[in-house]
Amino acid sequence: MEAYVLLAILAITAATLITRSGPQFIDTRLSLPARIEAALRYAPACALAAIAAPDFVFSGDTLQVTLTNPKLLAGIAATLIFATIRSMIATIVGGMMVFWLSRALLGI
Amino acid sequence: MSVSERDAFLRGFKDLWPSSPGIFAWGLVTGVAMVKSGLDVGEAVILSLLAYAGSAQLASLPLIAGGAPLWLILLTATMVNLRFVVYSVLARPHLAHLPVRRRLWYGSFLGDIMFARFLAHIAREPLCPHRDRYFFGGGLANWIVWQLSSIIGILMATIIPTSWGLELAGSLTLVALIVPLCAQRPVLAGVLVASVTSILAHGLPMRLGLLVGIGAGVLAAFCAERVAIGGSAGGRR
Repeated sequence: MEAYVLLAILAITAATLITRSGPQFIDTRLSLPARIEAALRYAPACALAAIAAPDFVFSGDTLQVTLTNPKLLAGIAATLIFATIRSMIATIVGGMMVFWLSRALLGI
Repeated sequence: MSVSERDAFLRGFKDLWPSSPGIFAWGLVTGVAMVKSGLDVGEAVILSLLAYAGSAQLASLPLIAGGAPLWLILLTATMVNLRFVVYSVLARPHLAHLPVRRRLWYGSFLGDIMFARFLAHIAREPLCPHRDRYFFGGGLANWIVWQLSSIIGILMATIIPTSWGLELAGSLTLVALIVPLCAQRPVLAGVLVASVTSILAHGLPMRLGLLVGIGAGVLAAFCAERVAIGGSAGGRR
């Protein structure tokens, strides 16, 4: 194993441990201003959206916001499926079906 | 561990289960990507077990392949992981009664999906006991599914065709986590703004688009909440 790769792995590990566990050192008697804490409560939902959204509209570096984009169709289908039947497995399976089917139909 | 503590742990573990197909697909894709970018099987397994941070790993792979300086890899992984700081701060009061070593241990299991589940659980049952055990149950289930799928991905990297587009399943899992949260108007505003902003800022280096998206979304949600409060009978303040 190359030393450089091992050090890179350790760097990524350090970045993860610091961000995940570091805040656990904070004294609970120190509390954030209520307004900031209230705003931070929205961060997880926003983070999930910011992670997922680009995946539905980019193929490589090309932005494609059209109804001939199979990934976008799958994302729309998944939203509708979850909003109506509230099943996560149906959302994932249904979304992938729409993705593969529309790709086949569009000949991509 | 008392009976009720074990129950809370098992509930956390079980509640994560419906998300496991999405986590599995995501882990599989990350495993495949690590090997396809040039890591050998041993390196990929060590990276998966030590870092356990899918998006940070994926963001770092092109940097490692290109021989980028270590400080840039550290900085990039930190930027991508910055959302964990917020999660950890939000989790802190729920773990407050634990000794510091256990808090650090539990904190290291933080992840997007297990934390979304945890927040949904405490929103449903604000007074539930042993939420730290629930947190750890979900965190452990998430870890197991992820490592299993990631290692399968590493071993099968040469067999699974990229053309299947399996990585989309990970994003579909996130959709199923986001939609129920959008029942609250401010969250809906935040999610929409975060989505559009992260798409517009996608080209930024070090995956900074993620951070810009989160920042814009939080701000939008906060403003939407102010507007909602201002509009309802003079507000609370």
